[in-house]
Amino acid sequence: MECLSDKKLHAYVEKSLPAVECSRIRDHLIVCESCRERHRRILLLESCLLEPVYQEPPAVIEEQVMRRIYARIPSLSSVLVLIGASFLFLVSWIYVYFDFANNSFIQALRLTTANTSSWIGSVVKVISTVFTAVYGGFKALNKFFAIVFDVNVGVEIFALTLLMFSLLLFYGIYQWLFKRSKKQKI
Amino acid sequence: MDDDQVLIKKILAGRRSDFEELMKKYNKKIYNFVFRMVRNEEVSVELTQDFFIKIYMVLDKYNFEYKFSTWAYRICYNLVIDHVRKHPMLVDSLDTHPVSQKKLMDSKHYVSEDGFQALEKEEIKQYLWKVVASIPLKYRELILLRYLQGFKYDEIAQITELPVGTVKNRIFKAKEILRKEIEKDGMFE
Repeated sequence: MECLSDKKLHAYVEKSLPAVECSRIRDHLIVCESCRERHRRILLLESCLLEPVYQEPPAVIEEQVMRRIYARIPSLSSVLVLIGASFLFLVSWIYVYFDFANNSFIQALRLTTANTSSWIGSVVKVISTVFTAVYGGFKALNKFFAIVFDVNVGVEIFALTLLMFSLLLFYGIYQWLFKRSKKQKI
Repeated sequence: MDDDQVLIKKILAGRRSDFEELMKKYNKKIYNFVFRMVRNEEVSVELTQDFFIKIYMVLDKYNFEYKFSTWAYRICYNLVIDHVRKHPMLVDSLDTHPVSQKKLMDSKHYVSEDGFQALEKEEIKQYLWKVVASIPLKYRELILLRYLQGFKYDEIAQITELPVGTVKNRIFKAKEILRKEIEKDGMFE
């Protein structure tokens, strides 16, 4: 048998040859010292290549990528959340502070839908009940601070609570919508 | 559906932590591939960042019928090749001067007879991967995809858009260049 070509030896080392061919090469390697030496070197080269030397990537890569990707989403979301929350806060505040649930638009709507069994009537009833309850809570909180601490800070505390609630609610709504829109893309 | 694809579904559902997980999984390999292609740390950091941002931006276009790693490396490969075309000097300037000198050779004289074999291989490995970074780009890119990233010949053909035969042939030639380079420096003796 003639000496083995480099190409054949590489293929043998890579185990990409048929079994019969491999057996012939094995037999030849036993008797041919020159091919054996070349095989040893190619084998060593292959095993060194199969164990790559990695360099640790700088930590800045992950930090920067996360900052660049997720900076865009919060900038849009925070504006939306703030606009929505401010609107909710303003409307709720006006309704609660002036007790509009009992003598305003909602009251009128309640009267209009009183004799109907439609879902609009139910929604109006629920909104009216919520506002009445919140107004009751607001008055009780004010009274509590006036009696216990002799101060009138119930309005401020209530306003802050309402503002936080509005922010949380709108952030939740935004997250839910954002996730939905992402899911639809799959 | 493999692990990568499950992760991508979660990312598309809007979970930030899952993209971090994907990045952690691929960061080291992608960085090392880019670094050995462009041979400049600053540029490698920039290109690796650009790669992950691009992946995030086009993730919704990923076709789940294909392997994610092949798709991702195709994007990475194109990104690097675009950069190389714009800055050829940066990449080819060292090709004619493989590796200056190997200092590691001296250390083997301090090793006992038992540990000699292991250290010798470790030395060759360290030296070999330095030489890999200095061979011509058309060979280097294939060696990196095959051995650094562990792709099969057909996957490399998909990534580089070369025929499988050309890929096999170039990898063989690349290994011959590496072998001769190491022999020239007496590392196999």
